[in-house]
Amino acid sequence: MNGLPELGTRPVLEARGLTMRFGSFCALNNADFSLYPGRALALVGESGSGKSTCAKLLTHVLTASAGHIFHAGRDVTNLTGRKAVLEYRSAVQMVFQDPFAALNPAHNVEHHLTRPLALHRPDLSAAQRRDAVADLLRAVDLDPAITLRKYPHEMSGGQRQRVNLARALAVNPSVVIADEPTSMLDVSIRLSVLDTFRDLKRERGIAMLYITHDIATARYVAEETAVIFRGRIVERGPTAQVIDSPRHPYTRLLLAAVPEVGSPFGEGNSLAPLAAQVRESCEGPGDLREVTPGHWVRFAA
Amino acid sequence: MTEPILSVRDLCVDYATPNGLTRAVKNVSFDISAGEVLGLAGESGSGKSTVAFAIARLHRPPAFITGGSITLAGTDVLALNDRELRAWRWRDLSVVLQSAMNALNPVLRVSAQFADMFKAHGVSGKADIRARTAELLQMVGIKPERMDDYPHQFSGGMRQRIVIAMALALRPKLVVMDEPTTALDVVVQRELLEEVAALRHKLGFAVLFITHDLALMSQFCDRVGVMLRGQLIELSTPTAMISCPQQDYTRRLWASIPPLHPKPGETLVRMKETPQ
Repeated sequence: MNGLPELGTRPVLEARGLTMRFGSFCALNNADFSLYPGRALALVGESGSGKSTCAKLLTHVLTASAGHIFHAGRDVTNLTGRKAVLEYRSAVQMVFQDPFAALNPAHNVEHHLTRPLALHRPDLSAAQRRDAVADLLRAVDLDPAITLRKYPHEMSGGQRQRVNLARALAVNPSVVIADEPTSMLDVSIRLSVLDTFRDLKRERGIAMLYITHDIATARYVAEETAVIFRGRIVERGPTAQVIDSPRHPYTRLLLAAVPEVGSPFGEGNSLAPLAAQVRESCEGPGDLREVTPGHWVRFAA
Repeated sequence: MTEPILSVRDLCVDYATPNGLTRAVKNVSFDISAGEVLGLAGESGSGKSTVAFAIARLHRPPAFITGGSITLAGTDVLALNDRELRAWRWRDLSVVLQSAMNALNPVLRVSAQFADMFKAHGVSGKADIRARTAELLQMVGIKPERMDDYPHQFSGGMRQRIVIAMALALRPKLVVMDEPTTALDVVVQRELLEEVAALRHKLGFAVLFITHDLALMSQFCDRVGVMLRGQLIELSTPTAMISCPQQDYTRRLWASIPPLHPKPGETLVRMKETPQ
């Protein structure tokens, strides 16, 4: 996959020094990153690393303790008023991890897609809305004729996640934040769902934040990858470089733990000692330094 | 090959639906040897968990075992009555499920949950129970001093370690693990399964390991079986199955795993979902 941002393209969403504290606990510590149109950034880390806190800050579910968020160049860190928040949220849409919980079991697919259109695009006539719903379903590789009348329980996890993506697309967002969108799906169908995310992001010029603990899938969606550990971004760069030449010890541990066909557990490849060592060594102050163009690694101070 | 500890023969499980019976498991047969780790892989709805639940006799209506036999260490599992089942579970067979939080009681201290289990199986004596609990927690890498903590005070990986310690308490011959690490991240998953691999060499229990992650299965299991629409379509060692899969479906399933370092020119298979 090709790497660097096209020069001259301005970021749609930017985080600068983004920090979230809960009491004395710092869930996200001084995070910097940018999302560009038509491109995706993968945010990779373990449970509790701060990746979902990041999503909640960007969608204004939480308000940052420090730092700034810029949307299309405008500071949106503190939005006041319901109207401003609603406007922002229609530009920055979210796809959640659990495809079962994110859809209302009492309503069919048509309802899930018609409602955002009715709310956010009141200019459309009933006939235009019906066409728009069909277009949305086709865009996520679902057949409107089969899917429209279906209820969530009549669909598989992957199909439900496609409906969730279509729902997010209904309001023409400039940013889509996908929080572990395939982690509850079978490994075998993850690629085809991720293909849809990747294609739509390119075709519609959407800036995407792909949050995952599965670094192996980052390559198939995201041009850039940031690895986050205990609230801090420890490595960031073109995805291929981060995966093929990782520099930070935590990134190396994460990569070594990815299940790989044909390398059985056994003597000599135990990861537990390395894991304990990395967890200890990554504490304390430090800063990000650029090791090769666009590839940043955190070094202890 | 040693004598099998578990024999499953022609197992059939049906689900009663408004449209009549649906066969979820179709004439499935396999053996597990003492101390062996056997993996069952398959997509959602392939019947792999139904097999695991049937072996542990945990299936509930609308699921019914409609044919076949299950023998564990000479015991006809399907003939056990309720009283016999209660004694048999945990002593001969234990179960570890996906969500450790749901397996542990959130309002009881961990020590109390171990005590419940020991007492149900005839172990009495407070001091003896605490000593055995401490030993079990130590074995899975949890500080025994923490036995009086509540489940929510532990991380997800630690909770799953506690559940595994409890599952091994009465030295069962077979541990059924249904997606035990699916809710954990990859590093914790790896640490936990390395621990289980070491323990089974030490204690000699066999494992039936259910997962949808074939790559993980190939690393952890001695033999792997692939299920498709209720049937066990292939069963062999990971090495044999990777190098020459016998079924086209198995080949596509292996080729659908997103590799970390794709080889140039390698074609990945995009699996179509089996409709619900």
